[in-house]
Amino acid sequence: MRFKSSLIAASAIAVALAVTSGAVSAAGDPDKDAPLAPLGKPMIPADNPQTPAKIELGKKLFFDPRLGGDASTGCVQCHEPEQGWAFGDALSRGYPGTVHWRNSQTIINSAYLGKLFWAGAAKSLESQAKGAATGAVAGNGESDVMEARLAFIPQYRAAFKEVFGDTWPKIGNAWRAVAAFERTLIQNDTPVDKYLGGDKKALSKSQIRGMKLFNGKANCVECHNGALATDQKYYNLGVPAAERWTEDGLAQISFRYEQYAKGVTQEMYRKIKDDAGLYYRTKQNRDMGKFRTPPLRYSKYTAPYMHNGAFWDFEEVVQFYNAGGGSNDFTDGTMGKTKTKILKPLGLSDKEVADLVAFLEAFSGPEILMEKPKLPPYAPLPDVANAN
Amino acid sequence: MKNQRSQTTFRHGRAVVGAALGISIFAAGFTGVVATAAHAAEQGFGPVKPLKFDAKKAELGKRLFFDSRLSGDAALSCASCHNPEKGFADGLELAKAYPGSSGFRNTPTLINTAKRAAWFHDGRLGTNLNDVTRESITEDYSMNMDMRLMQERAKQDPVYVKMFKDAGYGEPSNGSIRKAIPEYLKTLISKGSPFDKGKMSKSASRGFDLFKGKAACAQCHSGPRFTDDKVHKIGVPENPEIWKDPIRHTTYVAFAMFMGVENYMNIRQDVGAHVRTHKSDGSDIGTFMTPSLRELKYTAPYMHNGMIKTLEDVIEFYNLGGGDDPTNRDPMLKPLGLTDAEKADLVAFLKALSGDKLNGDAYVWNKKFPTEYAVIPNWRKARN
Repeated sequence: MRFKSSLIAASAIAVALAVTSGAVSAAGDPDKDAPLAPLGKPMIPADNPQTPAKIELGKKLFFDPRLGGDASTGCVQCHEPEQGWAFGDALSRGYPGTVHWRNSQTIINSAYLGKLFWAGAAKSLESQAKGAATGAVAGNGESDVMEARLAFIPQYRAAFKEVFGDTWPKIGNAWRAVAAFERTLIQNDTPVDKYLGGDKKALSKSQIRGMKLFNGKANCVECHNGALATDQKYYNLGVPAAERWTEDGLAQISFRYEQYAKGVTQEMYRKIKDDAGLYYRTKQNRDMGKFRTPPLRYSKYTAPYMHNGAFWDFEEVVQFYNAGGGSNDFTDGTMGKTKTKILKPLGLSDKEVADLVAFLEAFSGPEILMEKPKLPPYAPLPDVANAN
Repeated sequence: MKNQRSQTTFRHGRAVVGAALGISIFAAGFTGVVATAAHAAEQGFGPVKPLKFDAKKAELGKRLFFDSRLSGDAALSCASCHNPEKGFADGLELAKAYPGSSGFRNTPTLINTAKRAAWFHDGRLGTNLNDVTRESITEDYSMNMDMRLMQERAKQDPVYVKMFKDAGYGEPSNGSIRKAIPEYLKTLISKGSPFDKGKMSKSASRGFDLFKGKAACAQCHSGPRFTDDKVHKIGVPENPEIWKDPIRHTTYVAFAMFMGVENYMNIRQDVGAHVRTHKSDGSDIGTFMTPSLRELKYTAPYMHNGMIKTLEDVIEFYNLGGGDDPTNRDPMLKPLGLTDAEKADLVAFLKALSGDKLNGDAYVWNKKFPTEYAVIPNWRKARN
């Protein structure tokens, strides 16, 4: 209901704007878009090379809930393989006793991203893993207790010694191993990859029409471009605020906590009712409400969509853009007026919407599932065990 | 220790004198050179005097103390380990801990805690209960709470919004939570013991004489709370569970790492007050705060690691001159040569130091807590 009413409002504003905003596209595109392209191999950072033993260790650690505050909340709890390596609710589940405040993003192809988190707060998978494991509404772990736990798991002791040369496992190396595992979770043989690689049968007719719309009339490619289908830049589209913030006390707590933790001014803490996104990093008003363009790859498995999970399927997403985006506190002047001028009502017919939806599905190949590894048990340290 | 004394006296505006005094007491504590006569004069036995407190702030502190929303996963309250039915301790050898960790020390009573000079068995905090509250709530193995999140939880509860306002704190904040809980702790003062009422049995009275005389307990267990608030090494055996149970050991390692203990992976001993004083010769290793002898009836087992189960065993421990290793204990401990009758008298005396259980509505928040967080109505318009 909320979506529909904001859609109508957005359409009205958009119609009014359409008269004046023609100048933007007429002035030409200062930001040349890379075309969609097949996805190659991810870059591996020179300071964390991939090795089979490191990847194997990282896989176990990714699935190990002991890398979290109460030993029940590890990486996997918010990045479930069966839920697109994300979490199937608008807001991620968060630490026990909390709810997270943003939508969980997929791990698949995260290896290719320059920055992580919705507003790019982490510069590497290594630092993302640490940030998520220690955040109060995420893993709520403390580095010293997590590092201590690793020392009491003989298999990990042996693996950290082999992989990193650690006498005792170092928590920083745990994040390196997790990142190495995540860099193996890639999908670059989707129908889109195959089609762009020359297999003209890889896309259906509807999908090919959708691709033309994507690159043309719908102008999705303006931001969703290149091999990842993202320019990795930040925009405010006018995605409506999370409904849960008005309906759920638990979510209201997490929302305010994030304002406090991110160090906004007192006045802003009092006033703000929506996620200011990139602003928290830059503290520049022009960045209010902006989030990084998400990759479209693997998105078939990662509903709901947007930074707060506002939309439950591709059709809702396409209709949102068809209406020229939406409105929120950062578009209407309540907190800012930062909505991107790229968005305009698109005038897509129902058939065109269906074609775009079909094309979006072509960014995903088969679901990536794997058996969860058996986790190694704790044991007393050898001298204590042998003394008994 | 030095730090503790100077900070304590600083509060009373006698920083210079206090610091000098602190050094001499500090030296005495570790060398065992205690002038017994002078000490006896300072013993000052008597009832624990009640503290003034602000009723509304203490009432708020009481609700907070019993509220599990003050821990990271909203499942543990202060009272989970400090149970009023067990003298605000837990009856276990070693404390439980936050899920994923296990405790490595015995839970101390909170009765009379507001009178202490330093807190935790190792005395690592010598400032005030505000800091102790912060430490206990935020420490990863105790309540693992981010206090910013705690503040926002309190703000979400209309009962707290009203109570904080009525108590004069304005809106709920993590700072005022750390003030209100200590205000409540001021209400937990021993009362009604046979010792305080002058109604001790003959056996207990004989025990008191032994306590001050032959058994020399009063060397350290002096004053109304029967403690000198200092650390000593008496050689209580290590609790092997800390090292045999990998989760407990994990917890100890995390603690030692955080406290800057060297070689923390290879030690197999609770270093005690060394975490505070870090003496390079290690002479402070294995020293622990003298515990109060009040309310022992409710707080077994005993010692910093719960290794002694009964008061009879405690007396026997001292009768033998403390722990097995004479190099590992304060020289003021010597075999006492107590007869069975004398031992029984001492036990009777210790039991006479326990008073009324502090477990009525005055001390316990018996009302229900909400099971869900209320929604702030008209949220879009309300100021956060």
